[in-house]
Amino acid sequence: MIEIESLSKSFGKIKALDNLNLDIKRGELLGIIGPNGAGKTTAIRITCCILKPDSGDVLVDGMSIHQEQIKIKSMIGYLPEEPNLYERFKARDLLSYFAELYGVPKGEIDSRIEELLELVNMSHRAEDRINTFSKGLRQRVGIARALVHDPQILIFDEPTMGLDPATAHNIREFIRELKGDKTIILCTHYMDEADSLCDRVAILNQGRIMDMGTPQDLKSNIRGDLILNIKVENPGGDVVKAIEGFSTVEDVEVADNQYTISLKSKNDIKDIINVFEGNILSVNTKEPTLEDVFINSFKQ
Amino acid sequence: MKFTTITKWELKETLKSRKFLTIFILQISVLFLMLFVFNAFITNIESQEGISITPSLSGFASLSVDDEGRLFSKYINPELITVTHASFDDSMKNLNSGKTMAVVLVPADSLDKIRNIDTIEVKLYLDQADPKRSVVRDEVNNTAKILAITLSNSWIDSLTPQNSTPAVVTEENTGESLPMQIVTKVMLAILLFLPLFLFGNMIIDSVVGEKERKTGEILMAMPINSSDIIIGKSMAVVGVIALQVAIWMGILLITGFEIPNPLLVYLLVIITAVPVIGVTVIIAAYSKNYKEAGIGLTFGYVAIVGILMIPPLIYITNKSLISNISPLTMVIRLFSGDVIPAWHFLIPLGFVIMVSAITYWISIKLFQRDDVVFGPRPGLIRLILEFGGLKRRGG
Repeated sequence: MIEIESLSKSFGKIKALDNLNLDIKRGELLGIIGPNGAGKTTAIRITCCILKPDSGDVLVDGMSIHQEQIKIKSMIGYLPEEPNLYERFKARDLLSYFAELYGVPKGEIDSRIEELLELVNMSHRAEDRINTFSKGLRQRVGIARALVHDPQILIFDEPTMGLDPATAHNIREFIRELKGDKTIILCTHYMDEADSLCDRVAILNQGRIMDMGTPQDLKSNIRGDLILNIKVENPGGDVVKAIEGFSTVEDVEVADNQYTISLKSKNDIKDIINVFEGNILSVNTKEPTLEDVFINSFKQ
Repeated sequence: MKFTTITKWELKETLKSRKFLTIFILQISVLFLMLFVFNAFITNIESQEGISITPSLSGFASLSVDDEGRLFSKYINPELITVTHASFDDSMKNLNSGKTMAVVLVPADSLDKIRNIDTIEVKLYLDQADPKRSVVRDEVNNTAKILAITLSNSWIDSLTPQNSTPAVVTEENTGESLPMQIVTKVMLAILLFLPLFLFGNMIIDSVVGEKERKTGEILMAMPINSSDIIIGKSMAVVGVIALQVAIWMGILLITGFEIPNPLLVYLLVIITAVPVIGVTVIIAAYSKNYKEAGIGLTFGYVAIVGILMIPPLIYITNKSLISNISPLTMVIRLFSGDVIPAWHFLIPLGFVIMVSAITYWISIKLFQRDDVVFGPRPGLIRLILEFGGLKRRGG
């Protein structure tokens, strides 16, 4: 559905995108994670035809951003990090304005707006001005605005940034509902969000893809399926060798008096604990997270 | 044609804004204030008894005159010098006591001497300590010259037989004196063009506001061209100007001002609004923030006022054809009752179309550039070189 081909973009001397390549399938929800300044927003803005690349191309449904900007723009619903809405507009008027700009047929505008206001639970504030809304409410109106023309592609840039947990949860649920029906690109700083929502995740840094795959693949690629943390009273020298002898162990790290052991399965956990011969203060297990993937990518 | 959607919504939201309506009404009240000053000014020109809005020099200097026949004293400017009549002795006493600053002595036999074509000697005594004495001396000298010229002309006339019959002079009522004509035609025309400069901030807010409030990002993600955005926003401001000019013209007509061919005058004013907004939108498209735009607007409007005002001045002095490029010239000509050939209107129209095309083209080109809208913005010289094809973008 979206093919990003050798995309490069510089702002002065700063290289925001460096030969970026990315392929997003129809109906897929792709998460893009990366530190600040990684090039996430630039990639999104180029895809939305807001910025022009220095080189490379983006093909949306086979159409190039260099030739078919208007057609591509009408296929995309874009929600920037800040919803950036016209403060003096009433919520309903704002949606009407954008519906007209998107070319929604006049006869369908009112019903579409009603539907969207209900969807984002804003019907009761439809006649209020945007400047009276909290950030969460603005974000909801922003989502409704992005959906007003029923686009095939949705691009969300940090949609839950700075929102309270309840509102953020609602927006995540909303994105989850859209999944499958629309092709979605989600830029986020929140690893949990990317983990729980995305079909695939791309880790972006300095304008390049550092890693990409399903959240599960990415996590298992770094440290297996399970991490065992054992805190001991006195770390012994031979223990590491003994642990590495188990077939399920992929990696062992020692920091101070804590052992972090990556395992392929939990079959040997009991035996590994026995290696410490009662010298243990605490034991816990956890599955690797995207955060671990993210941090690991930067370590590499 | 998406620009009509932008124009419609910009107008709708602008006219709903209380802040805008307050400013709009205040501008109309400014017109009333200007009409009041305008009327006072005209009254002052038309009548010596009128209200003066310039500082008065009345009583600036004093002069005591011994002039029995009042031959001399009636020519002295009373606006400048307060004249008292007294005998020479009393006058000198006044001078010594500081009640007057000068004394003029006109000989008692002056009239007889004039009749005999003899010279008369007028004496002036000045208080040398008074710094205003030079004003009195100049005024007395001037009066003496005027008197001499008047008497000489009168004597020459009396010698010419054909002038012995008084000339038949008929007064033709033209309705307005010359100063009045200048004031009504030029000032009224300027007054009608004034609303063009009152709404620059509206387009600045509309365009620069998109950058400052970051709403431009959303607008640029819409399936519309940059030209739709620029033209849509500009036409909304032209619409507001058209409304304000219509109201101003209505008020002027109701308050008794004569506007010949009002529809044509209205159209000339409104078509001028298009390039004026075009220049404003260039400033707005390039400016990073309101502050920069405000500075740019000041310089821009000084230039526009110059371009509008200089051609009428040329027209007044030598009626040159090229001076018709300014729609203001055409309006002044309409007010003067000139019979204007139809093709003369093509000159300002052509000029307006040309300037509009250039200014909107530049604005659209600027707004199409992501570096101008989102930064880092290129310098002005670099932009000019790039527009001129002398430098490659990013090179």
